[in-house]
Amino acid sequence: MKQNTKVFISGGAIIVAILILMVAATPGSTGSEINLEEAVNQSERYENRYITTEGFLIGDSIDWDANNVELRFDLEDDLDNTLSVYYEGVQPDNFSDDVIVIVHGYLHRDGVFEAERVQTRCPSSYESEDPEDYDTERHSDMLRDSDE
Amino acid sequence: MHIIGNLSINLALILSTYSFIMFVFGIRKQSQRMINSAKGAALSVFILATISMFLMFYLLATNQFQFQYVYQNTSTDLSMFYKLSAMWAGNEGSLLLWTYILTMYTVMVVFSNKMKNNPMTPYIGAIISTNTIFFYLILAFVTPPFKTLDFVPPEGNGLNPMLQDPSMLWHPVAIYLGYVGLVVPFAFAIAALILKNIDSYWLKITRRWTIIAWLFLTLGNVIGGYWAYTELGWGGYWAWDPVENASFLPWLTVTAYLHSVMIQERKNMLKVWNMSLIILSYILTLFGTFLVRSGVLTSVHSFADGNLGTYFMIFLAFMVIFSMYILMSRYQMLRQDTGQIESVLSKESSFLMNNLILVGATFAVFWGTVFPLISEAIRGETVTVGEPFFNTVMAPIMLALMFLMAVCPLIAWQRASLKNVRDNFLIPAIFSLAVVALLVVYGLHGAYPIISFILIMFMIFTHIAEFIRGTKARRRSTNEPVLKAFWKLFTGNRRRYGGYIVHFGIALIAIGVVGANFDQERVETISPGEAISIDNYTITYEGLEQRSDGVNTVIYADMDIEKDGQELGYLQPERIFYRHFDEPSTEVAVHSNLAEDLYVVLSGWEEDDSATFVVKINPLVQWIWLGSFVTVIGSLFAIWGGRQNKVVPRYQGVQRQVS
Repeated sequence: MKQNTKVFISGGAIIVAILILMVAATPGSTGSEINLEEAVNQSERYENRYITTEGFLIGDSIDWDANNVELRFDLEDDLDNTLSVYYEGVQPDNFSDDVIVIVHGYLHRDGVFEAERVQTRCPSSYESEDPEDYDTERHSDMLRDSDE
Repeated sequence: MHIIGNLSINLALILSTYSFIMFVFGIRKQSQRMINSAKGAALSVFILATISMFLMFYLLATNQFQFQYVYQNTSTDLSMFYKLSAMWAGNEGSLLLWTYILTMYTVMVVFSNKMKNNPMTPYIGAIISTNTIFFYLILAFVTPPFKTLDFVPPEGNGLNPMLQDPSMLWHPVAIYLGYVGLVVPFAFAIAALILKNIDSYWLKITRRWTIIAWLFLTLGNVIGGYWAYTELGWGGYWAWDPVENASFLPWLTVTAYLHSVMIQERKNMLKVWNMSLIILSYILTLFGTFLVRSGVLTSVHSFADGNLGTYFMIFLAFMVIFSMYILMSRYQMLRQDTGQIESVLSKESSFLMNNLILVGATFAVFWGTVFPLISEAIRGETVTVGEPFFNTVMAPIMLALMFLMAVCPLIAWQRASLKNVRDNFLIPAIFSLAVVALLVVYGLHGAYPIISFILIMFMIFTHIAEFIRGTKARRRSTNEPVLKAFWKLFTGNRRRYGGYIVHFGIALIAIGVVGANFDQERVETISPGEAISIDNYTITYEGLEQRSDGVNTVIYADMDIEKDGQELGYLQPERIFYRHFDEPSTEVAVHSNLAEDLYVVLSGWEEDDSATFVVKINPLVQWIWLGSFVTVIGSLFAIWGGRQNKVVPRYQGVQRQVS
């Protein structure tokens, strides 16, 4: 056999091995990304499926049981869909009213979302507040604070 | 002020366009006068970009809130460092920084002494200036950095607390230096193709550029990981987030490229492959930027800014088509007089395998990253693949790479015999098995970690064996003392031994990564006086305290740390209330040694002073930072000084009248 052919065969084996790995790894780690509307109205369809969804946090709904480290809160979207979330863990940073919260986990039959991971979207960097929302009062307050 | 700013942008747009046109016409008409004019224009663009940068820094430093960008990203109470670093906190500023680096690189290449009388120069200038034009179009029309408001706010919005961290001063800059640095080898490659130069000149002359770009990409990724670890408080450094993958993808392809160029230089093989790799790396930088700025994927980083992504997509498509066309039209030429591999058991073929694995890894990461987009397009349902996918696929790939790194240095070029393989590997193999056996005695367990450690140790020991053999051989002929011979061995072939040092660094990083298998975590709410036990540690919560740090208020917990009954001192996990933000931010406290990090997060407190803590034991994390440091040293060693680096490759390609 020519040496180049041998090399091609072993190279091919590597490629095939990686492809097999990828195919094998896919089923165990896939989930669906759905919007809140789907999560609320079609919960049966996504039962037992790992789900990612996101919504605005309703600040008043946060119910934090410190002793048992259990967190409950509601997310809503612009269409007034509300999803209740249960999470055995702590509040992430920036967990406040109207922040976009991303939850990963499972939907239960009773419509409660059991999260395995809760993240707040970082109000980052490449997206700033609209200066149109400029609030004169807030800033003059701040200025007064700094004079003190 | 805004007039100067806008003028510097618009004028630079005009001049970079002019520069491009003059390069192209200069080549057409073979007129040196036009080429010189184009070069002059490129220099002027750089000067204008410098003015824009300085102006922006000045505006940020002096709180000129009538400028929208300054208003949105800073406030008066920030320290000067963070005010200036707001330069890359937002779209406008970071694109300006990007453009600045691009114009600087252009000038460095076009006016380089090495490129004197080289007919490739005008082509390279033209290719890079298409990039410059694109970025200036964005700066002029999509994200104008010097946009003013019609009133002067007394105070700005402040810098996002997560970005108020020392690593954030450097992470974006390093990533951009790396990203933009890849434009240079790309431009050389395309210029060589257009001119039909099929020798290895382009890759020799851009070697340092490529290594420097690779180094910055490495640094950027590591600093990003360090930032996530110390600032975000979830206890990890890498989460396979699309944004992270975006900068990891070109790193993988450039790593492959740095190895495969050696085969082209020695054996005149893989010419098409190397061209494709560098084109791919460059395209991936654009793709990464597209991913990051378009918001098409769900990521914890929100970068949603509608149009910007689309423009990057258009430019990306243009560049793909352009470079594919050039490559295809020269394909037959590149295929001529290609060398042959003489033995499967040779350095060449092991490099080839390494390349296939790295490109396979690139594909796997790419696939996992864009899977939601593909499934959305095909099935109308967004299916995500999470961390398990990446970990399952990448762990064996990493091990295979470790194995190749272990074997490769000891395999001869051309053809290695089974006997010399046996001679070279027996002792390192015994050593690595012995070390791992010792680790198992001390409690290492699990098949995966054990196999990983065997391979990593094997890699380290084969490298040491190689150093010993080299030093011995040198001493036989020179009779130098051991240390001198060792040093001379290294400095005599900086490229090779620098590479080995980098391998060492990667091995250390791998040790840290494998350590993640043994993470432990406890989340508990306790009252003052109570303690959390984890592993051998006992952490006693003594109470909450408050202090102020400038205008910010810091709440921290006093935690007394004991290990095996031995007092280790105090840790103070914090939550900082930044002035312009209602919610406090986590500041992690870490007690580290080489064996493990004790990682404590104060997550919240109740009215009765009880507080909730996340406590983690993260074994071996320090090895990652240590390994990265070694990697940086290795790369610098490879490109710094030495005889090898002074040799300027001789241009032997096509001659033209203009240069």
